Amino acid sequence: MSAVTPGSLDTAVGRIEVHRGGTGGPAPLVYLHSAQGEVPGMPLLEQLAATRAVVAPLFPGFGASEGLEHIDDIEDAAFHLLDVLDRLDVTTCDVVGMSLGGWMAAELAVRWPDRVRRMVLVNPVGLYVQGAPITEIFGRPLDELADELFADPGHPVAAFMHAMAAAEADLSQVPFELVRPMLQAMAATAKIGWNPYLHDPKLPGRLPRIGAPTLVVHAVRDGIVPRAHAEAYASAIPDARLTDLDGAAHLAAVERPDEVAALVVEHLGH
Amino acid sequence: MRFFSFHLMPYSGLPADYDGPAWITCPNELFDPVLGGELYNRYIDDLVYAEELGFDGVCVNEHHQNAYGIMPSPNLIASVLARETSRVKIAVVGNALPLYDPPTRVAEEFAMIDCISGGRLIAGMVVGGGPEYYSFSLNPAHARERFAEAHDLIIKAWTEPGPFEFIGKHYKLRYVNTWPRPVQQPHPEIWIPGVGSLETLEFVARHHYAYMGIPYFHIDVFERMFSMMRDACSREGYEADPLQLGWLVPVFVAETDVEARRRYEEHFWYFVRRLLPGINISPPGYTSVRSVENIMKSAGTFALNLDTWDQVVEGQYAIVGSPDTVAELLAANVERLGVGNLLGLFQLGTLPAADTRRNLELFATEVMPRLRARFPGAAPAMGPATATATGPAANGAATP
Repeated sequence: MSAVTPGSLDTAVGRIEVHRGGTGGPAPLVYLHSAQGEVPGMPLLEQLAATRAVVAPLFPGFGASEGLEHIDDIEDAAFHLLDVLDRLDVTTCDVVGMSLGGWMAAELAVRWPDRVRRMVLVNPVGLYVQGAPITEIFGRPLDELADELFADPGHPVAAFMHAMAAAEADLSQVPFELVRPMLQAMAATAKIGWNPYLHDPKLPGRLPRIGAPTLVVHAVRDGIVPRAHAEAYASAIPDARLTDLDGAAHLAAVERPDEVAALVVEHLGH
Repeated sequence: MRFFSFHLMPYSGLPADYDGPAWITCPNELFDPVLGGELYNRYIDDLVYAEELGFDGVCVNEHHQNAYGIMPSPNLIASVLARETSRVKIAVVGNALPLYDPPTRVAEEFAMIDCISGGRLIAGMVVGGGPEYYSFSLNPAHARERFAEAHDLIIKAWTEPGPFEFIGKHYKLRYVNTWPRPVQQPHPEIWIPGVGSLETLEFVARHHYAYMGIPYFHIDVFERMFSMMRDACSREGYEADPLQLGWLVPVFVAETDVEARRRYEEHFWYFVRRLLPGINISPPGYTSVRSVENIMKSAGTFALNLDTWDQVVEGQYAIVGSPDTVAELLAANVERLGVGNLLGLFQLGTLPAADTRRNLELFATEVMPRLRARFPGAAPAMGPATATATGPAANGAATP
């Protein structure tokens, strides 16, 4: 029996898909997903919901969430998330965000620092670091991407991406329903992160506004975001520390739920 | 039936040991400016020659940072053609509107070409290929709405008295007052090229423009595409005119079928294997999900997947042969597709100057007259340049 169940929420941009589960805890835990849209059936959320209230909204363009036509950039994303928190009656929350979701968490926390109690950023994008570019994710062969996203090529999602890459020479042979979610997820990500590429030039100057004690997690085998980005976040956010996670790649929260859950619980408390 | 000579202006000098993409990241060190200058001049000569041979028009197009077509500014070439020719239509197919900011630049340059040429411009407008969105770091998720907004702005700049204010989502201009204005009124004939995206077909049908099917797919794909275009026009409440449909196809004519293949094949493969790789990248959000589904059905027949000459012949990716063969194949396809514009690529890949000229001559003297005789209906007499546009598609914006 799953603790986290899908539902919907009407927001200013349209109806979005929200997964919720668990009760209690010092504050609701809001999980912000990556460009993978990994929320449905996510083991990490199940584990966290065992001891506290967890809520994971799917961003417009992901899953069944509507409203991407009203989102043009990261600022729209931040205001959308504020709207989601308001409509969920979440005044103060803990935020855990991975990759794109980590960027969104930071954008939320710099604008409304009082709404965020504590924060965990896992392999966050959102910054430009000279000499340490974020790997291109748009238009890349899926088999190459799979190796950058996952440490274990045998992970079911990585294996699926390898299979898709093998079929790509003739897309007419691929069932469209398999492709649709990936297309939508990448289109949504492109809207926010095509140019500037997965970063907000204004963000570094605003990071000192974040009051929440923040844990920045860098997965050692992350093939997308260099460690320098985690270092930049950790040094600019006043109360932050950086942890390296061995054996994990970019989608650490998907591939290593136990380890990430342990880090989250340790940082956020029960 | 109207006949156009279309030039991609390919770069013929990629070294044999380069096997990377011809787009986006193809190193520009591979471009030899001296060879480039020779190619530009030779290719312009090819287009000018088409007028002498009796073609109705010539076509150029826009691509950036690639070896496939070294014409980032087709308007520069078109302005040369405006001076070097005196009769043919000059079709720029097209300007990639989202790449011009503000897009009033397109309204200005097209109007200049129309003035200089005495009203011979066909104004092509295009979203731009997928690679362009990488080369310009322009957000592909905004491609369609930028295109639509830029189009509205350009048409308004040509048809409504200025100055006026234009406040859109992507373009906010307080003083639109385009000088010069086009000779052709209300504006030049408008062509939109496409590969079958539903949004584009519906856009073209709604505005009564002309749709140019882009090549490199199996002939069955064209048949489906033009049928979708006719359906889209029907849904708008009118029957598509053949002049609203154009078929772009590589053509090579020689004395015999055997001679044609012998002279042409290696240059065709250079084009397919060296210049096409990378063209089909589709950045996220560039095409709507429903259109991607439709385009995916055609993906397997894209020319990049060709291995053998038999496949080329079977799918009619290029029409190659003796005058008899080419005339028969083209006639059969023009009938099957229902198109009123034939856009021939007479130079492709590394095809040398002499073969290109001979190809144009044989086509013009042996093939074109037969097709003109066979399809007289949709063939407007192409007299000297006049100030009025020909064809129903020219009245585009005037018709709802």
